[in-house]
Amino acid sequence: MKNFTLGEFEEVVMLTVGVLYDSAYGVSIKMEIEQRLNRTVSVGALQIALKRLEDKGYLKSREGEGTEERAGRPKKYFQITALGKRAIEHSRAQREALWKAIPKAALHPKIVGR
Amino acid sequence: MATHSNHPPQLFLRFFRWFCHPELRRHIEGDLVELYHLQRVRAGKRKADIRFAIDVMLLFRPGIIGPIKSDVNLNHYGMLKSYFITSWRTITKNKGFAAINVFGLAIGLAACLLILQFVIFELSFDTFHSKLDRTYRVTNDRFQNGKLIQHGTITYPTIGPVMARDYPEIEDYVRIMPGGTLNVRIDDKNFRGDDSYFTDQNFFTVFDFKLLAGDRKTLLKDPYTAVLTESTARKYFSPDSNNLSTLIGKTFYWGLDPQPYEVKGIVSNPPANSHFQFAALISYSTVTTTDKDADISWTWSDMYHYLVLKPGTDPKSLEKKFEDFSERYFKGDKVTGSIEKFYLQPMRKTHLYSDYEYDFAVTASGKAVWAMVIVAVFILVIAWINYVNLTTSRAMERAKEVGLRKVMGAFKSQLVSQFILESLLITGAAALIAIILVTSLQPSFNQLVGTGLTWNLLVENLTTQQVAIIIAGLVGGALIAGMYPAFILSRYQPVMVLKGKFARSATGNFFRKSLVIFQFTASAALITGTLIVTRQIEFMNKAELGFGLNNIVVVRSPELLAYDSTFITRVEDFKEALKQFSSVTNATTSWRIPGDRLGRAFNIRIDGQPAETHYTVSHVGVDYDYFKTMGVRVIAGRPFLPSDHHANFEKLNTIIINKNAMHLFGFANPDDALGRDVLWGNDGTRKWKIIGVVNDYHQEGLQKPMEPMLFRPAYSPGSPISIKVQGANIDQTLAGIEGIYKKFFPGNSFEYFFLESQYKRQYQDDNRFGKVITIFTVLAMIVASLGMIGLSSYTALQRTKEIGIRKVLGASVSNIVSILSFGFIKLVLIAALFSLPIAYYFMNEWLQGYAYRINLGWLLFALPVIIVVLIAAVTIFFQVLKAALTKPAETLKYE
Repeated sequence: MKNFTLGEFEEVVMLTVGVLYDSAYGVSIKMEIEQRLNRTVSVGALQIALKRLEDKGYLKSREGEGTEERAGRPKKYFQITALGKRAIEHSRAQREALWKAIPKAALHPKIVGR
Repeated sequence: MATHSNHPPQLFLRFFRWFCHPELRRHIEGDLVELYHLQRVRAGKRKADIRFAIDVMLLFRPGIIGPIKSDVNLNHYGMLKSYFITSWRTITKNKGFAAINVFGLAIGLAACLLILQFVIFELSFDTFHSKLDRTYRVTNDRFQNGKLIQHGTITYPTIGPVMARDYPEIEDYVRIMPGGTLNVRIDDKNFRGDDSYFTDQNFFTVFDFKLLAGDRKTLLKDPYTAVLTESTARKYFSPDSNNLSTLIGKTFYWGLDPQPYEVKGIVSNPPANSHFQFAALISYSTVTTTDKDADISWTWSDMYHYLVLKPGTDPKSLEKKFEDFSERYFKGDKVTGSIEKFYLQPMRKTHLYSDYEYDFAVTASGKAVWAMVIVAVFILVIAWINYVNLTTSRAMERAKEVGLRKVMGAFKSQLVSQFILESLLITGAAALIAIILVTSLQPSFNQLVGTGLTWNLLVENLTTQQVAIIIAGLVGGALIAGMYPAFILSRYQPVMVLKGKFARSATGNFFRKSLVIFQFTASAALITGTLIVTRQIEFMNKAELGFGLNNIVVVRSPELLAYDSTFITRVEDFKEALKQFSSVTNATTSWRIPGDRLGRAFNIRIDGQPAETHYTVSHVGVDYDYFKTMGVRVIAGRPFLPSDHHANFEKLNTIIINKNAMHLFGFANPDDALGRDVLWGNDGTRKWKIIGVVNDYHQEGLQKPMEPMLFRPAYSPGSPISIKVQGANIDQTLAGIEGIYKKFFPGNSFEYFFLESQYKRQYQDDNRFGKVITIFTVLAMIVASLGMIGLSSYTALQRTKEIGIRKVLGASVSNIVSILSFGFIKLVLIAALFSLPIAYYFMNEWLQGYAYRINLGWLLFALPVIIVVLIAAVTIFFQVLKAALTKPAETLKYE
């Protein structure tokens, strides 16, 4: 089976692209993450992640319109590919498996004496 | 409306554009700008700016940064490749013109490189001495009756030490006194002919000759000790090992001196670029032990002095103090009979700027060296002008290409770089050919000119400053030559050119014409120069010398013949035996032979003249056969007779003078002089009766004037024997002479030379200069003609339609040839006329270096003009004739 590797930030980006569905491009992704997760995202970090994800084949892109506030530069819209979908699903499944494996006691520290 | 302040910080934006990978650039930039605007609305300009800057900086990371070779460079590379291809196509399309261009430049560069080797070597003289800039030679001018009578480098032994004592600015000094040739005996082997010099212990602190063996502290200290050069030492002792220190302490005998000389040191051979060449140095104390005068005399002037001044000393102000010095020690002309003036000659100038009498330095004419530099520059400029002319004259052809390129969006700078690349290609090819040419022609050039030039010599002796000048000159010239056509060609307006409304500019034409004029002015001036130089050399070689130079064999004196009461008889017996040969007509012995610089006497007058009268004359001792053997005419009185000679020098009392001396002494005609007494020696009391007057003859080459001369009937050891021979079989005669010599002087080595070749050595430098300037003039002319061929054929090509129409209207071939050539011939004629005053000025200057010189007749100036015009006419003629013979139907059928 293919080994899906997703970093934490990459996963966040993937998911956000999914959330934004048809309107995921640099600025909107950045805003979305910042709003939802309450963390700042630098353009550099985001672009690197997007490039890496696209290189891995998890995202695909198309060129969009250039608006006035972008000084005519085109937007680059991202979409999750089939492979990308499997990658986040795989990641989610792994997490869930891990959640399930945690003993009840571990999540109730009060019971454990210091 | 967007104002300026609406933009994100341009610096950072530009930085981003520069580093960002081209694939990512557009949409990331879009994101950045969009974010910037959002940020501005939300937080204001300042915050937005800062945020933008931070974002850009954070984007500067691998993955975003583009490849190191930016796309700008990538595109340039592609363009360069295209330029290269088009350049190559243009070159191959016009093979003839490319060849003319490349070969013209190659010849020019090759000539330049050869000259450069020569010039750099000449300029490198003595630069290996570390104190060069502080070292000066003392030169000594002597005046009598207000006239300069000697302009020398030799002076009195006291000068160096006394000056060093009197003037604290002198740090060090050294005396050098010629010791003549060494006749060395080691066991049973004889060696002779090596130049030796007596010199002070300071020799090795003043100069930087490299010591190979020996203790610096004891060198040249004790009497009868010597320092030999490596090659002399190897010749004398043929050591087995390479360890030269084994030779220290060896001894040799010099001539008849019973005292052995001990070798105390070995010095490496003086470099070829040293003005002072020697085979052996002998301690100065050797002279002073036998003759105290060598330390204290104020009249014995055979010594050369070198002074090292303390750093920062102004030589001019020291020189001024020498007037006092002269007055203090020479008291006007009381001491030596002449007014003594002393000067400092920088050692740096010894090789190229010395015109002194009695100079032992290897000298060359600085003027000739700089003349060569001018020639080199001329040739190179002529070659570059060819390039410029040929390229711009093809403007018509290239104009369409330029127009089309411009329409397709080429910038002017791109066109310029295209043409510069083209010229770099041609220059590069030319440089390559030039280097090959120089390397392959160097041996024959060296042989012809008598030099030993190599690339190594050039590389070793170049100073960084010279390298900078040369590179700046070559690269700068190549760039200008490439740049001009590039700018001319790239200037055309595409609309004009493509419409066909293209006219050659009048200024361009004028410029091209001036360049042609310059080329031919330079060539014509060089031709005039060559003509005059070769004529002067021919004149000197063929001049009537006043004596017979031919068929005289000179045998060096037997080195082991001591001067005693039997000396004269033994020499006379030898001469008598020689004369028994049918092929020997006469033989004579004399102190010096024609071609040698004679000694001078400064304190001479005629008996009866006032005591303060001083005359200076050259003098020589000769035997009674001298005038007959040399063919010098006695015009009054009689030649010497055997009875005039005496083994005891003090008993001689007859003298013969030449015509110049007769005039100097104030006699109107020879008969007045006969029987009068010359006062010379013993403080002006010794009398010499004038028994004869001889014709003036050229004792020295024609560069020097004929001087007043005195002849005394004196023999001396070391006098060469001159033998007048006749008949065809010279080898047999020489063998016979050698046999007799061996019989009379056993144990001595037999060495001979021909007087004529020895005498003509005085013209060696002139001959060399003549050959060199001829070679380079021919080269310059070839290059200029190549340019002419190219230019005239292109002009003819451009005027084909005109020619066609003219022919249709009835012009004859000769008409057309004259129409086409007239323009060029006119230019060449103007150029030739321009060259006349230039050539006259420089050649007149050059001829001033010769006491006897040719007249600058009008023919010498008319001839070059004719030659240049003729050469140009012939070159043009064939190009033009081809155009004139083309049938009009062929050229006009496309209209």
